[in-house]
Amino acid sequence: MTEADPRADQRWQTRDILVVAVIAVAFGVFFWAFGLVWAWLGFLGPAQSVLYAGWLLPAIVAPLLVRKPGAAVFAELVAAFVSMFLGSQWAVDTLASGLLQGGAAELAFVATRYRRYDLPVVVVASLAATAAAFVHDWVVYYRDYAPEALLAIAVAMGISGAIVLPPAAMAIERAVRRSGALPEGLP
Amino acid sequence: MGLSVHDDARTATRLGRTSALVKLGVAIVWLLGVVVTPDPRGSLTMGLVALAAARLLGSVPMRELLRGLAPLVVAACGIAVFTAIFAAANTASGAVLLVEVGPLVVSAAGAQAGLLVGARLLAIGAISVAFASTTSPTALVDALVQQGHVSDRFAFGALAAYGALPRLSTDLRALRDARQLRGLRADLHPRLLVALLVLAVRHAERLGVAMDARGFGQGPRSHYRPLAWSALDPLVAAGAGIVLALVLAATVS
Amino acid sequence: MAGFGFRFAGAERVALANVDLDLAPGTCLLVLGPSGSGKSTLAMALAGLLGRDVPGTLVGSLAIGSGDRGLVFQDADRQLVMERVEDDVAFGLESRGWPLEAMRARVPDALVDVGLADRPRAVVATLSGGQRQRLALAGALAPGPALLVLDEPTANLDPAAAAAFMARLAYLKQEASTTIVVVEHRVDDTWPLADRLLVLGRDGRPLAEGRPEEVVERDGARMIDEGVWLPRRMEPAPPVSAAPILGPDGEQSSSAVLEVLGLGFAYVAGAPVLQGLDLAVRAGERIAIVGANGSGKSTLARLLVGLLPPGAGSIEIDGLAPSRRPPANRLALAGLVFQDPEVGFLATTVDEEVRLGLPRGAGTETRAARLMTALGLPLETYGRRSPYRLSGGEQRRLSLAPALLREPRLLVLDEPTFAQDRAGVTTLVEILRARAEAGTAIVAVSHDERFVASFATRVLELRGGRLLDRGAS
Repeated sequence: MTEADPRADQRWQTRDILVVAVIAVAFGVFFWAFGLVWAWLGFLGPAQSVLYAGWLLPAIVAPLLVRKPGAAVFAELVAAFVSMFLGSQWAVDTLASGLLQGGAAELAFVATRYRRYDLPVVVVASLAATAAAFVHDWVVYYRDYAPEALLAIAVAMGISGAIVLPPAAMAIERAVRRSGALPEGLP
Repeated sequence: MGLSVHDDARTATRLGRTSALVKLGVAIVWLLGVVVTPDPRGSLTMGLVALAAARLLGSVPMRELLRGLAPLVVAACGIAVFTAIFAAANTASGAVLLVEVGPLVVSAAGAQAGLLVGARLLAIGAISVAFASTTSPTALVDALVQQGHVSDRFAFGALAAYGALPRLSTDLRALRDARQLRGLRADLHPRLLVALLVLAVRHAERLGVAMDARGFGQGPRSHYRPLAWSALDPLVAAGAGIVLALVLAATVS
Repeated sequence: MAGFGFRFAGAERVALANVDLDLAPGTCLLVLGPSGSGKSTLAMALAGLLGRDVPGTLVGSLAIGSGDRGLVFQDADRQLVMERVEDDVAFGLESRGWPLEAMRARVPDALVDVGLADRPRAVVATLSGGQRQRLALAGALAPGPALLVLDEPTANLDPAAAAAFMARLAYLKQEASTTIVVVEHRVDDTWPLADRLLVLGRDGRPLAEGRPEEVVERDGARMIDEGVWLPRRMEPAPPVSAAPILGPDGEQSSSAVLEVLGLGFAYVAGAPVLQGLDLAVRAGERIAIVGANGSGKSTLARLLVGLLPPGAGSIEIDGLAPSRRPPANRLALAGLVFQDPEVGFLATTVDEEVRLGLPRGAGTETRAARLMTALGLPLETYGRRSPYRLSGGEQRRLSLAPALLREPRLLVLDEPTFAQDRAGVTTLVEILRARAEAGTAIVAVSHDERFVASFATRVLELRGGRLLDRGAS
């Protein structure tokens, strides 16, 4: 199915919508379990934030698997609504953080007009999403923190966004593609 | 996983009949209010009003509301404690120290900061519980599409995907069983996530084909559950606005 | 249809070729064929989905009279979209832009037609499998299609639900003169309905076509060769189940491998699924457990291998309770094969899938390679392929590998013939017989009567939470 017009490629078909939405729901299910682990990891203090990448996976994995405009935002929104209806800890706030994280990641992909999905772009998207998450968390939770503590968290999240998230997301994408679950014609 | 049951009785209550769009708007605006208010009593008030509204105007049983809040209590305490420990106020000059354990100090101001964040988290949770218990996903999607003019393909696509949730949880359990059957521990190994995603994608593919076979997205869509604005909507919105204004006025002074 | 053919994008071989078909309105066509013969592709073609939703190349012509088409798949979960019964029926109508009054009139009628009229506001997730499939049928029927295509609609249903579904279909054929095309493996229920028969061969080309009795007379033997199921009364008598298993010294083995006493289990307190259940299985025995969907068969399967702890009573394999041992130590005791092979895959290549969890070492490698070749999936050719891309039969055989490799004393299978054609089932029965002869105790949960007849030495029925003897077969 070759398209002469590259713009036609970027239109969402039903199956694209569903793939992103179901991925988001699957992440919602996974988060439910991950959330319990996260609470216990809280005792590690700021170091816990290195694993923050876990929460940002949908924003990066969804666009990698369905390379259409808005995939990151749509995925994060669906995941947020799902977790809200499931009664997760962060509730209505996930809408805000989801929107910010997804939007930030989206910017990185917009910048390459949705044509490049290699490591540099993924790293930029990951850092953007992590930065957005940090800003959101600062506003909601960390406003009264000591600067040293803030720095520690920022560093941990920076590591997460630059070194943990990109390879994890790309590895997941590769594994899913290798399984042949995505048929031809789904770039 | 706690999913509220939205039977017809609940949908007929005052909050049930309020547009989901209005409720969502209120939830978001209140979220901002809670984040902004500098007094824990402000957040707590708003949280309590939200719960009361759900209880009184939405007929949600108390037990369900408390069950929704339960996971948050632990998180709120944790956040409060950590904020108190890491508060900037602890090292400010003239700090009144409450607790000293080795290098960790907690000042009165730090403790107050902790309380503020804890209350904030609880309030956010209460608002969400109130929203989720008085709004069914179907109602939300209907409101978004009919009143919010969101794309019906995306909204209903998301709703269909949400319907796959029980199937995905069963799948996750089967995958964990499969791991056990090979002698591996059933923790959340990354392989599990990949396998779950693969199953999710395959399910999505098939669901998409089935939806297309039913004519989805191939023309303008009509509505079996037509929604209309009612008098409740501006009332609820105004009521919520007034509460917010009062709380902010009282606390930001 | 004339000279119709189709190849999926990226596939090496053609899925369908040279199909010529001429259906008069109001007739019912039954499509048969072994795994991989392109039956589902044909169903999708008739529903107008090929080329548009499903990428690939089309050959030939396809002309369907004016009017909508409705499509029903085997898996209700993948067709039902909304939370409540009536909303789901209305979904197709909404998508086609029907006016409100018309929808309000039509939805109850569709529900009456499929026997679900009593609970229009019910939550879909609370319906049984059979009810959900009927709901899917209602959804397909609501727009009043001229052509109704069904792809293995009863595959997931137990015999009672399948019969109920087919009864509805018969009623519809009578009342509404819709043209119906059914693709099926399970022939017995559908045969009475069919006016015409189309048999596809393994290569995707039609083998035979015409009136059912004529086709069977002409080509019956060929059909059986290709692996197509015929109605029971038309098949040669199934092979007699083996004589009681003899031990290596020629005497009947009497060592009990599995002993279950007074087993009780409930997911929710006060609603026991199983109670007071007893079962004893000896080495080399082949037990089949039948029962309606929802009777607790899958729960029993999971309990037997230790995935669930018993609520009451005891389960012992060789004297040890499987649920009390850590997973690594359970392997030698019991293995379980799932109903849907895909849900048990944990890797993205066949190689990894087979090796996962096994200790490294030359011994295991050779054993694995030998087993895979015996299963018809030699690692040299299949190793790098993805489990999800294999055919249904291949996936089923692959799903046996992890359990077989660990040579447990007890092997439990949950609906092993799910969606298998004749060749698949025959191979499966052979493999299981060989295992039994080697001393494994085998318990298969199934509602496939033909499989049970050719496989089991003893048949038990799960009813009311207990196992009742149906006698040796």
